[in-house]
Amino acid sequence: MAGGGDPKWQKDAADQNFDYMFKLLIIGNSSVGKTSFLFRYADDSFTSAFVSTVGIDFKVKTVFRHDKRVKLQIWDTAGQERYRTITTAYYRGAMGFILMYDVTNEDSFNSVQDWVTQIKTYSWDNAQVILVGNKCDMEDQRVISFERGRQLADQLGVEFFETSAKENVNVKAVFERLVDIICDKMSESLDADPTLVGGSQKGQRLTDQPQGTPNANCNC
Amino acid sequence: MDFANRNNTANKFVCPSDRQLALRAKLKAGWSSSKTNEPLRPEEQEAIISVIRRNEEIEIAERQRVGRLVERVEKIKLHAVERGPNCCRLCGDAFGLLRPQRILCEDCRKSVCTKCSVDINIRYHNSERTREIWLCRICSETREMWKKSGAWFFKGLPNYDMPVRSASAANTPMSTPMAGGVGAGGVGAYAGAGAGKGARAVQSCHGTPARGARIKKLTIRVNDSSSSASNSSASNSSASGQSEPEEDQLDAAKSSTAAGAAGQRLQRDESFRLRAYGSIRSFIDGGERKLSNSFLFGRQTNSRPADGQDYDNISNASTVAQLRREGSFMRRSSVSSSWSFSDSSGSGNSATQNTQNPQQQKQQQQQQQQQQQQQQQHCRDPLLGWLELAISYRESFHSLDCTMVRARDLPAMDASGLADPYCKLNIVTPEGHTKYTRWQRTKTVHKTRNPDFNETLQFVGVEPEELGNSLLYVALFDDDKYGHDFLGAAKVCLSTVHSTAQYRISVPLGVEDQYSNEAELSQSWPNGKMLISLCYNTKRRALVVNVKQCINLLAMDNNGSSDPFVKLQLKPDAHKNKKHKTSVKWRTLNPVYNEEFYFEASPHDLNKEMLILTVWDKDLGKSNDFLGSLQLGAQSKGDRLQQWLDCIRLPDHFHEKWHSLASDNPTH
Repeated sequence: MAGGGDPKWQKDAADQNFDYMFKLLIIGNSSVGKTSFLFRYADDSFTSAFVSTVGIDFKVKTVFRHDKRVKLQIWDTAGQERYRTITTAYYRGAMGFILMYDVTNEDSFNSVQDWVTQIKTYSWDNAQVILVGNKCDMEDQRVISFERGRQLADQLGVEFFETSAKENVNVKAVFERLVDIICDKMSESLDADPTLVGGSQKGQRLTDQPQGTPNANCNC
Repeated sequence: MDFANRNNTANKFVCPSDRQLALRAKLKAGWSSSKTNEPLRPEEQEAIISVIRRNEEIEIAERQRVGRLVERVEKIKLHAVERGPNCCRLCGDAFGLLRPQRILCEDCRKSVCTKCSVDINIRYHNSERTREIWLCRICSETREMWKKSGAWFFKGLPNYDMPVRSASAANTPMSTPMAGGVGAGGVGAYAGAGAGKGARAVQSCHGTPARGARIKKLTIRVNDSSSSASNSSASNSSASGQSEPEEDQLDAAKSSTAAGAAGQRLQRDESFRLRAYGSIRSFIDGGERKLSNSFLFGRQTNSRPADGQDYDNISNASTVAQLRREGSFMRRSSVSSSWSFSDSSGSGNSATQNTQNPQQQKQQQQQQQQQQQQQQQHCRDPLLGWLELAISYRESFHSLDCTMVRARDLPAMDASGLADPYCKLNIVTPEGHTKYTRWQRTKTVHKTRNPDFNETLQFVGVEPEELGNSLLYVALFDDDKYGHDFLGAAKVCLSTVHSTAQYRISVPLGVEDQYSNEAELSQSWPNGKMLISLCYNTKRRALVVNVKQCINLLAMDNNGSSDPFVKLQLKPDAHKNKKHKTSVKWRTLNPVYNEEFYFEASPHDLNKEMLILTVWDKDLGKSNDFLGSLQLGAQSKGDRLQQWLDCIRLPDHFHEKWHSLASDNPTH
């Protein structure tokens, strides 16, 4: 599977046959497992060797959800601070965030609040966030209980999952949930607020009239 | 990672404020928010840049996709009749007791009929309750477009590459206001170009502090579609459009040399670039793109490449020189789809060729104005589809290889909604003539509106100098025994074709013009043509066929002439009509008959029947010679089908059309 990953990726990336395109961003401290998480989801592969992500990377995956094909462009960011200026540039285009911490690392959990601040600072205000505690397979080294994670998520008003990229626990669920949340948000924003689209149409109506002018001059 | 003891100035997590950035700009201290960091190593930069480039590809595809979505809605809008409150907004049917039911669209509050509206169920987010609302097709499609393009999220349409359609783009009412949506997010300042009727919106965006250091001012002049109708303002703007790029180029050159020298600053620049990538890029890019639909006409096209280059230098100035070159190439190829395809012949010169003599430029302007006028004549034409082609030039052979890859959404030509398309190609010289007398032709792809040609045609003897100001002209025709009907035509500027790389482009197809007529005439129809007038007479319940005249018939007799007459027959005939024939016109190749014949038939029958006309040369003492044939009926294609359907749809009117005669005898 891992071997066939690359051509499949390219196929996915070039595929124009989809309905929606969502950009998602995975953020969190260094070495919490963002890249592994993405690789597990996109390629279904896992390697325990740690290679720090250089700046940014992304993968593309098309999923089928609610009779719609959704193309996901999932950005994997470097957790290291030296790349921060690069990674924050991509917050603005992201519709959903996966904020990840490591259940075996207290520091990464404590930073969650700071990452939320980052999101608030750089992203669009209606971006959706899911809190994810990764490496839940390492029960013996766990320092952050499920309960603490859930409490923090409640406090932040986001959904919460504990996952394991290594054991493939909840990885797909996180992405599916995020896509669902964004889909919900989408229909909500349009259907409950038609002024959004309607507003643009008011603008059109104004120009509907000038349109007659070139036609009047037109010789046809 | 601790966040507490790093607070030398502010939270490291948060980018410095605009005020701080402005101060740094004055101090020339660079843009990086964390100066303590070591600079990015070259291999790191490379890795990041490769990701950015990968992303760029996706973004280009995305922009084109959004452009197509916008186009789709526009297309529907163009077809809207808007006849008034008592008629359906879309199809124009009047409402009434026995007529279609009136429905009020939820979004635009206009009346539409049941056929032109959609009911959708809205589920409220926090309750299971649903509500059914009706939307007209325009509004439902607009909603769909908002969803699909991501505009719902960004509260405005993202930047898109409008598939620029030569004729309709300037006149579509939607392009400007819709495209302006991004401004709502506060990213770009957007002058409401849609508001001022015929006004020239001059938008000058002074950069943010960060941008200000690079480019002093970016001025975008916009000609609203209506103002481009007046010649004076068009020439005005094209004149100013020419002076601008030089300025921009200067700036760009400055910034690129500065960046090239400063190796030390590389990292900072880099970080600036990346941080700025999202916002500024969309700003510049968006500013340009947003307006491009409306100002493509009023503006001299050769200013666009310079703008593109200018942009390159903004975004890539800090990267390695080689990357910059590559990047700019990529960039140009993406922009080209929108600019190189203006209808003006020979005006798409690259920025480096700015040293034209003024006379030539004047000539071009005139030409462009003429073409503008021409374009406005076809302002209401529907979209004729898309053509994807790849062009490459081999300098050593002086040969231009044009690969017709595929076409999409071509007009249907027969009753089953299909066509048999093929392409004809020629090169149009700057003087406006076709370079080759023989048009190149692809094979016909049968029974499809989305043909995959994948055929390469070669033009030999194209000088490299010629590329700069010549156009490739592609006309698509429908292949049929009884005449080849025009499907669409496209012109591609060859100035962007590189000798090294293949230039791939997807272009919209436009309407007929002088060249397509030329291409059509180049087809040989040795059997001549016939003028036929059809009418369905409702009183007599009969089809009236008036054989008016023929021209250019074949000469069959020794005296270099023929004695032609026409036989008419309806097949399969439900009413057992007898066959008819016209009188014989002696010793002529251009006989005029004006003879009427009646075929009893119900309109329903006509949907299945076929009128067969054959032209014969009357010979005494031996069998008659066959001169040509024509079939009209529901199984015909193109013009012939059109005439037949018109005749059924609009009875008691004569529908007259010229048709080519085919050389095979259908009665045999």
